[in-house]
Amino acid sequence: MIEASHLSRTYTRGDGTPVTALRDVSLVIAPGEFVVVRGASGSGKSSLLNILGCLDTPTSGSYRLGGENVSALSDNERSHVRSKRIGFVFQNFNLLPRATALENVELPALYTGAAPDHARARQLLEHVGLGGRADHFATELSGGEQQRVAIARALMNDPPLLLADEPTGNLDSAAGESVMQLLTSLQREGRTIVLVTHDEHVASFADREIVIRDGVVASDTRRRERGQA
Amino acid sequence: MSGLRIVGAAWRSLARSKLRTFFMMLGVAVGVAALTALASVGEATRQETLRQFKRMLGTFDTLTIRPGAGSTRGMPSVGAVEPSLKFADGPAIAEGVPGVLRVAQVQQTFDLDVSYRDESVVPLVLGVSSNWADIRDETVASGAHLTDEDERTLARVTVIGPDVASALFHGEDPLGKVIRIADVPFQVKGVMASRGAGPGGSSLDNVLVIPVTTASKRLFNRDYLTTLIVQLRDENDSDRVADDVRALLRERHRIIPPAEDDFTVSSPRATLAQIEQVGSALSKIVTGVAVIATLIGGAVIMSLMLIGVSERRREIGVRRAVGATRADVMIQFLAEAALISVLGGVIGIVIGAGGATVGALLQKLPPAYMWSMIGGAAALSLAVGVVFGLYPAWKAANVDPIEALRS
Ligand SMILES: Nc1ncnc2c1ncn2[C@@H]1O[C@H](COP(=O)(O)OP(=O)(O)O)[C@@H](O)[C@H]1O
Ligand SMILES: [Mg+2]
Repeated sequence: MIEASHLSRTYTRGDGTPVTALRDVSLVIAPGEFVVVRGASGSGKSSLLNILGCLDTPTSGSYRLGGENVSALSDNERSHVRSKRIGFVFQNFNLLPRATALENVELPALYTGAAPDHARARQLLEHVGLGGRADHFATELSGGEQQRVAIARALMNDPPLLLADEPTGNLDSAAGESVMQLLTSLQREGRTIVLVTHDEHVASFADREIVIRDGVVASDTRRRERGQA
Repeated sequence: MSGLRIVGAAWRSLARSKLRTFFMMLGVAVGVAALTALASVGEATRQETLRQFKRMLGTFDTLTIRPGAGSTRGMPSVGAVEPSLKFADGPAIAEGVPGVLRVAQVQQTFDLDVSYRDESVVPLVLGVSSNWADIRDETVASGAHLTDEDERTLARVTVIGPDVASALFHGEDPLGKVIRIADVPFQVKGVMASRGAGPGGSSLDNVLVIPVTTASKRLFNRDYLTTLIVQLRDENDSDRVADDVRALLRERHRIIPPAEDDFTVSSPRATLAQIEQVGSALSKIVTGVAVIATLIGGAVIMSLMLIGVSERRREIGVRRAVGATRADVMIQFLAEAALISVLGGVIGIVIGAGGATVGALLQKLPPAYMWSMIGGAAALSLAVGVVFGLYPAWKAANVDPIEALRS
């Protein structure tokens, strides 16, 4: 699914000095793997996830997604890759506040060129246990519910890869638990999941744990065989 | 995204922030309303002015010749004009200039007392040849118009306008009665049909006509005219006939270059063209002001859109993350700006046309709508939305999604 080799990412600060967030990161993630990325704050986890999610491009190195070299694509082409092949889940949910749960779930379908599939959006809401909340505005939902709507949104275009940046970071433990159960069930459907977290318990849901320190992969350990919860 | 879905998405987005949408529409609505209302009121007034002039001039297939060089303002009165236009000039033009059907001779004044018993008025007194009524399409409400016989015999008969009839007779039948014009007795043989209002809304009915021969010999004791009205066979021929008439009159009046004409030839069409020109200059100014108002509305849209873009950075980031291209975001914001502006424009047109209708009815004019201006206003509002939406939309398209999604 993911083949990243020698990825580096250097930002330029406002005053012109360079900051290197990632250096020489290489990793291969197979289809269907559930990988957790851990590391201290500022270690480069989000930088890595942005590159894997085609939101950002590496300063050097190459990134192949599903066999295609996406680090060479234009901004437009990367938008299409995100649309069809990647679902994002954020720490702060990032739902459109003045849209309903259903409208939020349907959002990715706007950019596929195909007609919107309302039935699929409703079905996804059912699937995340929010069938009855379809017409609620995002602001009327609890944090856990918002994150589950966000997961339904990430699934709207049926992408093989899900990227989650601290998805339980803003949730209490019960809501966090149900989100993790949901993600685990998505892995069982065959999706590849890369999840960034601080939390040891959250990390325990994954098959494999990559630790990043100062922009470098410090360890890469298999916790158990794929999908054996 | 398809066009319909883009508009639908823009509509939903606008519906979500109603207050901002309202303020964004306001400027364009005000500008377009002003444009529509001013243009339509102007059009109603212009049409009325044309109707008034048409009523005053009677017909359009004529040329008017007055004594004196240059255009003398106001109405000439016999005794106050150069004695250069002679009676004989009339038949000479009728016979000597091809394309002329007939020529009416007129002597006029407006400073004579006209009385019947204890009532008196000071109407416009017209001494006219017997073909005058026909040339001007004047009709009588009762009685009859002046005849060749009246003209030849210097008859003391008169046809009076409706205003004179009502002022002197108060509903009594004027026909056959004898009125005094500057103390000379005249028998009323007809009452003219109402001509309505002339330029400025003044009445054209405070008038009476008598044979021009009688006027000349028995009333004014003058052998020159205030006006010759030349009727054309073909009104498209008026420039050529005017030139021929000028040449003939110069010869008859023995005017040798470089001396100037001692008469002025004017055509109703030229007068109308002048009025139209004044009207269009006015409408240009009005249009300019309203266009500026609409542009200010556009600037309001732009600044509120810019605020909107910075408030909606996270939304933009989300859309980009789920697959929107820069172009998708740009189109979305452009569509919102255009939709707002067009809605504002439509509201403005409705308000403006409504205002124009009320304005016209208050002035007792039939409402007129300048459709070209209304269409232009609609196009302008779309253009304003697109043009002023362009920069905010470009800003939106270039929001960095990573930056926008952080925190
Ligand atoms: N846009 C940016 N400009 C400058 N420095 C940045 C930018 N984004 C991230 N960084 C820096 O890169 C390093 C890694 O950041 P990040 O990938 O967000 O770490 P993490 O997600 O592990 O906390 C940090 O030192 C951060 O300050
Ligand atoms: Mg981070």
